[in-house]
Amino acid sequence: MSADIQNDGDSKPTCAEATVSLPATGIATVEGKEPPPEKEADTRRRSWIVLSFWLIAVFIGLPIWWNTTTIYRANLPLGQMTDWADGKACEPVFPLRIALDVGALPEQEAQNLLRLTQHALDDLNDFSGHHLRLQLAQAPTEATAPVRDDSNVALTIRLAPGDAAHTASSSLHPHLPILDVQYPPNSLPTANSPSSGLATYIATQLGATFAEEQNIISYLLESSSITSEHRPKGISQEVVDTVSKRMTRSLKYSQTYHLTFSLFTNGPVPSSWDIEAAIDQYMKPVLDMLRPIHNFTIDTQVQLYASPGVQSLVLGKEDLSSFVNAAEWPLSPSIGGAPTVNFIVYTGNHTIGVPSEASPGETSQSWMIPQWGSVYLLAPPAEATHVSSETLKQPILTFTSHLLTLLGTPQSGSLPMRLSTLARIRSADLLLRASSSLGSLARLTLALPSISIPSNVADGVVKTIHHLELACASLGGAKSLEHARIAEAEAERAFFEKSMVGQLYFPDEHKVAVYLPLLGPIGVPLVMGLLNEIKAWKNRRSQKLKAA
Amino acid sequence: MQSLSFFSLIPFLTLLVSFVVASTAPAADYHEQLNLKPLPQNSLLASFNFRSNTSLPEFEAHNFRFFPRSLGQILQHAGTRELHLRFSLGRWDAETWGARPWDGTKEGGTGVELWAWLEAESDGEADHKWLTLTNALSGLFCASLNFIDSTRTIRPVMSFRPEGDHPNTTMANMHLLHGVLPREVVCTENLTPFLKLLPCKGKAGVSSLLDGHKLFDASWQSMAIDVKPVCQAGEECVLQIEQTIDMVLDIERSKRPRANTLQTTSSLAHPPSHELKCNTTKPYHADDTCFPTDSLNAQEWTLNQIFGKPMLGNCPLTDPKTPPVCIQAPHSRDVFTSMGVEELKEPGNENQRCYLLPSNDEEFHLALPFMPRDGDRPKTDADEFVQPATPLLYAERSLTGHGQEHGGVQAILTNPSPDAEVEFVYMESLPWFMRIYLHTLKARISHRTGSDAGQTLRDDDDVVKEIYYRPFLDRQRGTQLEIRMKIPPGSTVFMAYDFEKTILRYTEYPPDANRGFDVAAAVITILPSNSTSTAGAAAAAGGKTARMSNLRTTGMLLNLPTPDFSMPYNVIIFTSTCIALAFGGLYNILVRRFVGRDEGPEVSLVKLRKRLQEGVQKFKERVQERLGAVGKGAKKVDGKSD
Repeated sequence: MSADIQNDGDSKPTCAEATVSLPATGIATVEGKEPPPEKEADTRRRSWIVLSFWLIAVFIGLPIWWNTTTIYRANLPLGQMTDWADGKACEPVFPLRIALDVGALPEQEAQNLLRLTQHALDDLNDFSGHHLRLQLAQAPTEATAPVRDDSNVALTIRLAPGDAAHTASSSLHPHLPILDVQYPPNSLPTANSPSSGLATYIATQLGATFAEEQNIISYLLESSSITSEHRPKGISQEVVDTVSKRMTRSLKYSQTYHLTFSLFTNGPVPSSWDIEAAIDQYMKPVLDMLRPIHNFTIDTQVQLYASPGVQSLVLGKEDLSSFVNAAEWPLSPSIGGAPTVNFIVYTGNHTIGVPSEASPGETSQSWMIPQWGSVYLLAPPAEATHVSSETLKQPILTFTSHLLTLLGTPQSGSLPMRLSTLARIRSADLLLRASSSLGSLARLTLALPSISIPSNVADGVVKTIHHLELACASLGGAKSLEHARIAEAEAERAFFEKSMVGQLYFPDEHKVAVYLPLLGPIGVPLVMGLLNEIKAWKNRRSQKLKAA
Repeated sequence: MQSLSFFSLIPFLTLLVSFVVASTAPAADYHEQLNLKPLPQNSLLASFNFRSNTSLPEFEAHNFRFFPRSLGQILQHAGTRELHLRFSLGRWDAETWGARPWDGTKEGGTGVELWAWLEAESDGEADHKWLTLTNALSGLFCASLNFIDSTRTIRPVMSFRPEGDHPNTTMANMHLLHGVLPREVVCTENLTPFLKLLPCKGKAGVSSLLDGHKLFDASWQSMAIDVKPVCQAGEECVLQIEQTIDMVLDIERSKRPRANTLQTTSSLAHPPSHELKCNTTKPYHADDTCFPTDSLNAQEWTLNQIFGKPMLGNCPLTDPKTPPVCIQAPHSRDVFTSMGVEELKEPGNENQRCYLLPSNDEEFHLALPFMPRDGDRPKTDADEFVQPATPLLYAERSLTGHGQEHGGVQAILTNPSPDAEVEFVYMESLPWFMRIYLHTLKARISHRTGSDAGQTLRDDDDVVKEIYYRPFLDRQRGTQLEIRMKIPPGSTVFMAYDFEKTILRYTEYPPDANRGFDVAAAVITILPSNSTSTAGAAAAAGGKTARMSNLRTTGMLLNLPTPDFSMPYNVIIFTSTCIALAFGGLYNILVRRFVGRDEGPEVSLVKLRKRLQEGVQKFKERVQERLGAVGKGAKKVDGKSD
């Protein structure tokens, strides 16, 4: 070889000189003879070899590489998910049926009144998402048996002729969802009158009764990302503030809540209390009414030698938040997923110095901690070691009202009405929450192309959408809460899928470092071989053409 | 007993507390006691015991009084019928300290140990509940109990028996699961939740003595929580929680005042020569030579000194008739207490004295003064402490073998008794990466002393009565090995088996892999001597006739072959290079055409040189042209200026 180079070297100066003088012919003049023409079979065999290497690389190597390195991403119905999140899939409409119990009125007049009142209602209400629909009570029986079983009826209006000559009056029944309206006998509309004072009056009363529910639902829709023509026209900033304050106070919805009643005391006494009897007596009735919406478990504990987080005996407003000594008091987080609501009775000589005016529901002995529970300061009982159920009456009643606030119950109306409103608010809330979870999941999927999506996430999404559809179809009805609850749980489960939380991160530099040592030395011969082969093939073709 | 007036100098606010507290609710009662026991070599065993009950109906109704709610909720949620949780640190020196407190039933292996009886229909359900339990407990006790996974969980067959009274209906569905975390470092953050479970919260009663700094500075300590149902005949069944803390304090070390602990630890390495305790009887003893003494000075301490804080009176929830503090020392030992404390001496027990505290919040003080060993009435060691009882069995275990691949374990079990046989179950829960070979299990027996000491006397068939073995599965479960053995009096058994070390996967190594892997302590359950039947039969009979005692060996540190952790990239590059070399050669041979040397195209190197020369030539020409142009331009400029 070296001799050969030497030879070439000898011949080169002439060549270089030639280049100087004749650059066009410089490279063409090469010494040595041409190799003998290659056999046709050899050329073809070489082409086959190159081709088969490439075929193996492309049809076996690439698929294997692809299969072993791709991240599994289940197919998600992204379009549907974004539709739900944007509110395109469901129009949140709450048709509320209101029964009109006209008593002894003749059918014709009753129908007339109904028509007029419905008219007046439609004029009053500009929020089409929350719709009140009147109907005549199914069985206009005696007042002793009002319509109770029909759960779809939100309110019954009981009309009765009153003695007042000019003005109608109304009153909400304190325990049942009934609005008693007493009207002057002469105010009944005639068959053809376009409007009626009584109808307008009833409509206004109904509007006032459901104003709070409308406000809350409007607020929910407004704060969600849903853009819909059913969006309420506008609620005043004031209303938004009060509603948002109330909503941020309330706990996140859950089917089950653990209620923990704790007796804390700074010293060794009192060490026992009649909490079970007190709860049975004062709180159980309310809990039983809440049963269709929530389940409750109750546990109680006594904790001695528990010093509060603040030292002073008179608690200022800023002390209230640090009174609960979270580090030392065993109010450990709940078990099993359901949130805990803590009710603390603290016996001691502490008093609240500045009763806060902002929340008038709080007494000078108790305060509520948003989304957590409430505290009641109890003066040390006369019988030093034992707290009787009588002494606990006031604390438990306070806790009951705090519990309702913590659950997000509206404040006006009789308890059954408040609870049915609560069910509707909660189903709307859950529906919106599940929809927005779906939207977030969809956005996450698009934003992180390297995240893996296991198939159970897709299952969860499908289930969520199915239940959302069911819930949306029956909004305002009894089933909607159940469906919305399942939908929300499934959406949360899909979003917080464990294997998606810890995302594997392979920076591109690492990929280069891993692939280059292999692909460089293999890829270069493969590509060069292919290029040579193509060049040879072209040569052969042009020669053939020339020959032809 | 003498009452020293100076102890009552501290007039404390005496808050009178009525003692009817505990009697208002008979189903829930609370009991606590501190047992002090001076040990040889300047050590002191302090055993704290706290016990509270709740009736089962109250427990089912979630009404908690003295029983901690946080734990109760977990037990209900995970369907746990009986629970035993242990946090331990250090080594019990059986040679010096003798038999273990509570017969070893309230201690665990180094680290955290948990076993529980769960009520479940199937094994799968039990596993699920076990997972719930470990996760919840891990949150409650700030320990990594959630790392007890299937590889660290076993289902002991012969070793553990339920201690509580379970109705036969639930017995059928109860599953025993056992898990150990030998690596867990027990520390102050585990004591705080432990104290939170107590009704008096460490603010009154004997629990006010507990302090993390002293507890975890002890030579040996064990914290135990046992929950079990207890049914007394004719009474309502109750659920009992018993919390125990045992610790062996080095008195000299504990007496150091807290303030200069830091200083002292730094000076501990080189204490001044006059503070060294030297054996002056040695002939070579001099100023600069020191042979440490075996028997240190007589014990002299007060409760305040060794625990770092005083005891804040009685916990008012306890039965006032039960003395909260007891000391186990010969009656000839001087003990001083504060005023108003009543000393009780049990007539049957020569060495026990208990102290009944007055019903106020006054601090309780206890002092053991220095007892001179010479003078008028010289005292001896026998006056100082009760000679510790000999344990039923001595056990030690160590790793044998060498190299990165094979290893062995040897356990030396000695029966010190001159006349009684001892029968026990030896249980090991080994990690899966220790692949043991059961066929190499050998047990040989020899006399402890005498001319034939160390020689094999009998075949292992006589020693090993029964073996329960559940082999490991890679990454799924560890080895479970239970061996029932019987050792004749005054003999030693050497038991050994071999194992192979596994090379783990890259991600399975912990951050400090070179430290080694902890292997849990072996649990030895000594069966009651009167039961001649097998363990299975004893279980059928209820296993409650005689108490079993326990013993645990120390943990082991197993060194596995540890790779260089930059290995993956090296491997990738190395294999890639190999493949590339092979492929390149092969491919070129297949694709290239071979021709005669003079027939082929120019060798590329020559071609390259030629091209380079051409390039250089061109460049030169261009430079010359440019230079010529500049020269012309300069001339032009000159011409203009002219």
